[in-house]
Amino acid sequence: MIRRNSLSAALLVLGAGFTTQALAHNPMCECKAVDAEQIQCTGGFSDGSGAPGVTLDVIGYDETILVPGKLGADSTLTFKKPAAEFYVLFDAGPGHVVEIDQADIQAP
Amino acid sequence: MSLFIAEKPGSALSRFWHKWRFHINILLLLVPLGFMPKYFADAALFRGDTGLGEREIGELQVGPWSVRLAELRNEAPRLDGPAGYMKNFNAALCSACRDQVKATYLRIGKPRSLRAAGVIFFGTPYRMGAMLPIPEKTKADAELWVTMEGWDGSMHQASIPLSQASPATLDWLNKQGGRP
Repeated sequence: MIRRNSLSAALLVLGAGFTTQALAHNPMCECKAVDAEQIQCTGGFSDGSGAPGVTLDVIGYDETILVPGKLGADSTLTFKKPAAEFYVLFDAGPGHVVEIDQADIQAP
Repeated sequence: MSLFIAEKPGSALSRFWHKWRFHINILLLLVPLGFMPKYFADAALFRGDTGLGEREIGELQVGPWSVRLAELRNEAPRLDGPAGYMKNFNAALCSACRDQVKATYLRIGKPRSLRAAGVIFFGTPYRMGAMLPIPEKTKADAELWVTMEGWDGSMHQASIPLSQASPATLDWLNKQGGRP
């Protein structure tokens, strides 16, 4: 009994120590080239939740939207690499965006 | 002969402990006292009693409006798990523009469009907060761009060098050794 009490006390102290962080959920997005033609982007939030249905647009440097898309049920979207220069915009609402420049997309 | 074996007298420390252990527990009440200065400093910071943040950056003119900026903490960016390093900024709108400004955004580097204007400030116009991601490859001469959107649809932008906005962040970037 004493052991159980001290265990719960230790857990309580640990829990209290961690509550101050990780309350925010910042948008995250990662893109990688799966082959020479295709790029796959995965969206999510820093609290570990996924982002199914969130808008992900591929936009040219001239601000034209090359690929308007939405993330699938698995929070990913695969699209064909545009010929023009582009960046990827993960858009979960105003102020909740992530931009990924084509230069930051890893080659396969 | 007694059926019970008399307990051997322990060491002096053991006897002291057995005699006083319940009284010594009262000392545990003193433990929280050590944390109180930090607790009250944080409470004052978040209430705004000690100003907009730990380090005031100053007033920034953005078109017809202006905004007062501050670093919430005068320290290097903190790691927020997989989302990367984050830095908290606070802002207060000028008294004349509180009714006119719909949204205020913050970004490192000039925004490509209003859609990608960066993170949004949330909270009351008197004290808004934003959590800005700081990429590890940010250049030392980077600029912080403030984008303000009015209810009338107008948009105004202004910038401030990162070295001026957050010297602590710049020190941190320099220590990273300019990662590619």
